Amino acid sequence: MHGRPRKPSKPEDEAASAAKAQKLRALQSQFLHNHHNNIYTKEAVDLSAKLLEINPESYTAWNYRKLALEHNLSQSESDSDSFKSLLDEELIVVENALRQNFKSYGAWHHRKWVLSKGHSSADHELRLLDKFQKADSRNFHAWNYRRFVAALMNRSEEDELKYTEDMINNNFSNYSAWHNRSVLLSNLLKKKSEGFQKEKVLPEEYEFVHQALFTDPDDQSGWFYHLWLLDQTVKVDSPLLVSSWPANGSDLVLSGDRHLGDSASSLLTSFHSDSRTFPLILYFNQAVHGVNSSTVTVDYEFNTSKDLIWEPISINNSQTAQVWVTKLNYPNVELHALKEYQVEVSLGHDWGIVSSSGFHYSHPSCYTFKVCLKLAETDPTEELGGEIISWRDENFCIYKTDSQESSPAVSLDQLSIKSDNDLSASEWRVAAIANEIDHFRELLSLINCKIGKLTLARLLMAHDAMMHSSGNKVAHFEEVLELYSDLMKLDPSHIRYYKEEHSLVSMQQVTSSQESLLRHCFCYEDLNCSYIGNPICLRLNNLSLSRIGSFEKLLWVRMLDLSHNDLSSIEGLEAMQLLSCLNLSSNKLGSFTALEPLRLLKSLRVLNISYNEIGAHSIDTTRYLCSSPLSHSIGNKWNLGETAIDDDIKNYWEAYFILKGLKLTQLDLLGNAVADETFKLFVIKVLPALKWLDGEKMC
Amino acid sequence: MESSSRITVTQREQSMVMSDVKMMYEIYASVPPKTQRLMMELQRDNHMEYLLRGLQQLGPSFCVLDANRPWICYWILHSIALLGQSVDAALEDRTIDFLSRCQGPDGGYAGGPGQMPHLATTYAAVNALITLGSDKSLWSIDRGKMYTFLKHMKDPSGAFRMHDEGEIDVRACYTAISVASMLNILDDDLVHNVGNYILSCQTHEGGIAGEPGSEAHGGYTFCGLATMILINEVNRLDLAALIDWVVFRQGVEGGFQGRANKLVDGCYSFWQGGVFALLQRFHSIIGERLTQSGPGEAEYHIDSPEATPESDISEGKESSDGTSSEGDEACHFQPGGSQNAPCPVNFDNVGFVSSEGLAEREPLFHSIALQRYILLCSQDPGGGLKDKPRKSRDYYHTCYCLSGLSVCQYSWLKDEDASPLPRAVLGPHSNLLEPIHPIFNVVLDRYREAHEFFSRS
Repeated sequence: MHGRPRKPSKPEDEAASAAKAQKLRALQSQFLHNHHNNIYTKEAVDLSAKLLEINPESYTAWNYRKLALEHNLSQSESDSDSFKSLLDEELIVVENALRQNFKSYGAWHHRKWVLSKGHSSADHELRLLDKFQKADSRNFHAWNYRRFVAALMNRSEEDELKYTEDMINNNFSNYSAWHNRSVLLSNLLKKKSEGFQKEKVLPEEYEFVHQALFTDPDDQSGWFYHLWLLDQTVKVDSPLLVSSWPANGSDLVLSGDRHLGDSASSLLTSFHSDSRTFPLILYFNQAVHGVNSSTVTVDYEFNTSKDLIWEPISINNSQTAQVWVTKLNYPNVELHALKEYQVEVSLGHDWGIVSSSGFHYSHPSCYTFKVCLKLAETDPTEELGGEIISWRDENFCIYKTDSQESSPAVSLDQLSIKSDNDLSASEWRVAAIANEIDHFRELLSLINCKIGKLTLARLLMAHDAMMHSSGNKVAHFEEVLELYSDLMKLDPSHIRYYKEEHSLVSMQQVTSSQESLLRHCFCYEDLNCSYIGNPICLRLNNLSLSRIGSFEKLLWVRMLDLSHNDLSSIEGLEAMQLLSCLNLSSNKLGSFTALEPLRLLKSLRVLNISYNEIGAHSIDTTRYLCSSPLSHSIGNKWNLGETAIDDDIKNYWEAYFILKGLKLTQLDLLGNAVADETFKLFVIKVLPALKWLDGEKMC
Repeated sequence: MESSSRITVTQREQSMVMSDVKMMYEIYASVPPKTQRLMMELQRDNHMEYLLRGLQQLGPSFCVLDANRPWICYWILHSIALLGQSVDAALEDRTIDFLSRCQGPDGGYAGGPGQMPHLATTYAAVNALITLGSDKSLWSIDRGKMYTFLKHMKDPSGAFRMHDEGEIDVRACYTAISVASMLNILDDDLVHNVGNYILSCQTHEGGIAGEPGSEAHGGYTFCGLATMILINEVNRLDLAALIDWVVFRQGVEGGFQGRANKLVDGCYSFWQGGVFALLQRFHSIIGERLTQSGPGEAEYHIDSPEATPESDISEGKESSDGTSSEGDEACHFQPGGSQNAPCPVNFDNVGFVSSEGLAEREPLFHSIALQRYILLCSQDPGGGLKDKPRKSRDYYHTCYCLSGLSVCQYSWLKDEDASPLPRAVLGPHSNLLEPIHPIFNVVLDRYREAHEFFSRS
């Protein structure tokens, strides 16, 4: 719609424009007369050409010419010469119209229509395009037409690639040329055309884009292309299992009651459940669908059932998720307590697991862990939530592990599910990224450039991720954190983004090794506290985190302290399926919808959201994009008729939506604008199992 | 590659625009406060005069002969409505008559009497008639034939053609679905597979292109997103990538560019600014649709009257000098993210979006900086608005600059019925325009009246 009619702007033009209008009006009415009476004489057709030359937007005239051409083609001799001359005449009319306005939709479309009749010369079209694209190198009509011509004439993508190169050499700011280059290369790489393997093409492309970047680091176009290249270098198409719980090689001690057998020695590997089932959690590197009992084989001698039900953990109820969970029954041979059973999980043996972008899980993977059933006398009458969990510092002491014991961190790297094929294939990637790192360090030694710093930070993280997966441990965390800190100072208008990236890197650093992780592991004072089950608390408080990540390393966590950070979202937390105690107090959570991941944490019993900003903001932008009773992703699951507290739900539907499925026994709300007496009464109705609210015992 | 001593054409043009804009802002900074107030004032009277002059020409001796006359009606009438004004009865009658003569015998509206119906002019005509708003005006639309016309424009692939034998693109999809939705004739047949076409136009940059293979573009991003919202398939788009893309189309000048590394242009105040309005509002729009269609529960309020957004909206002043030029438009793309696939059907991104940006409590674009650009750089003090300094005014830019200004002024509101905060409106309070419905770009009250009218009949 943009760039449509140009109207005369200066008063002195008015006389001229009136005369022009007069002429146009006469032409227009004569043309419409011809059109409505199906007059296709040469004179009539010529008149439409005159009209179009003045007003190329006259789509009715273009259609008239189509009808006329069809008519005349059917009348003319069937020899190809006269056929061709009629078509050529059309092309000339279009060309004249385009000269008048080369943003005319109608003219470009008519040209495509004429071309599809055949008999045209690719060279001629390309020459014409050269002319137009020189005059306006960003004209998207011309680029679209170019793609059309190339496809119609079977012009090779290699040739078109060469053309983008010429255009870029002529003006490296021409983003349209860079964009077309990325589209062409994507196709060539996808087709694996001769000479177009990523390992060959991408290093060359890096060299090519360097010329633009280093000539003028302030020009945007090259940076966009570099970003696309980086993405092409690091992305792994096919989905991959990156971690699980229980982890590969771990020994899991199962018990049927809440009291742990004896010492703290098995704190991290024990699991208890009243229902005598334990979860099996798979964490993929990207969202997948198709995880089911036929795509994932679970062999365990104590249970022969093959019909495991796998559930996607997805906040919008889609069947595509990064985390999948099933439940396994305890061994039902209680007599053989203490016997170890091996469980083997394998997947990828068929192509049923598919990523959301359509790639199959293609490498067969297999891992094992052991379970052992430990029976203990229990006191079944003890109630959940009898004691209050207090998050005060004095209740925690640093967790000490003896060297023999399997700690959470030990298992982190054991799940090395990759094929040799992968390793060798990634060598060029590592080399390409390392080369880029050198270049950008050099660039930054010469100039202070924000986008250069950001790119270097991304390159370093990509490098570390690759080295990590090949078993190497060269980490650049400190350097990257410093880059982001610099950027926050240099470019305060994007501080939130840099801070989030900084937070994600901090979390990767914390979870990168056993030592660093253990520094954040604490024992909750009361080891006998009945319902935590595993009183090892991961404390990530006071770290200025504005975003959380690295969940693949944290699947084992049951007690988590994220208090005193800057979180306004806890997106991704739903992966931590074992979580039973969570402290989010003193963050920047602005609404209940920001807590949506909690809906999927079925084990959650203790929640502290005190001293946040819930209810304090008149604009809650999170909820526009979050599933709600009104959004179709939830659909008819929402049934207001099911409960008698309708009125409150109207006022607090967001809270209701998050809390209704949770079996919380302890909740702290204090210090939020929403938490008045009415709201507390509402919460008590929604959470019948609640024993403690804001530190006070329910009666 | 060019030698490093020579800057490219693109760079030369960009630096010219930046120095023009910088000069405007420097002049503004150097004049006394009284003059500043005047410069920042929306010249309502002059705009009205300019607009009415355009409408006079719509009389019997209509002198602009082209294929877009309903557009001119819409641009002018909508601009007048945004200014809170209306046209007199005689002019209204003439306009209805004129548009009726553009209505085709088989439905739809053409660019002028006797021409073929065209989706874009159909959209313009319907929006113009809704903006006029009288029963006579709304009755003049033949909805039965309109449905036939829309069906006729639907391609077997699911997308729409602009006209018989015409081109297929995202614009056609938007105008068709918007008209059908406004007139309450949208059904499953019209919706069928439109979403697939829009998805095929979302590029790895995050925005939406006019057709598959092309680069992301502001106008088409608006059209594609609005269409997906109307057909209730917005979650199929990679919204995280889309937000990343549109956020970085706002440049140092304060205004928006339409594509990467292009010049700022006032009309994108609406096409790009409107994308933010859609993202922030579509939740309530979905709510609205549900209340219409069934016993859904759409009333919810967490009102805390004392609460106002906390961040200081005047902080943007530092960026107004227009001096720094950085390539940081690239900053927020996620490496290794889901933007790779040309056609990402990614349901999982909806949750992702919340932490990517929407967790913020102010608009995701710099609303004050955009208002400053519109008022100081896009406004012709003698009436009418324009692309950028050195360009001349026209009705298209007047319409879309004013629409963008309205989007800015109301961008801090969660509730479309509330009045904007004084701090959210740059300049004197008389600058406040009427709110629009961001999907259709008609003034909200006119939308509501039309909506009620078409639900009844």
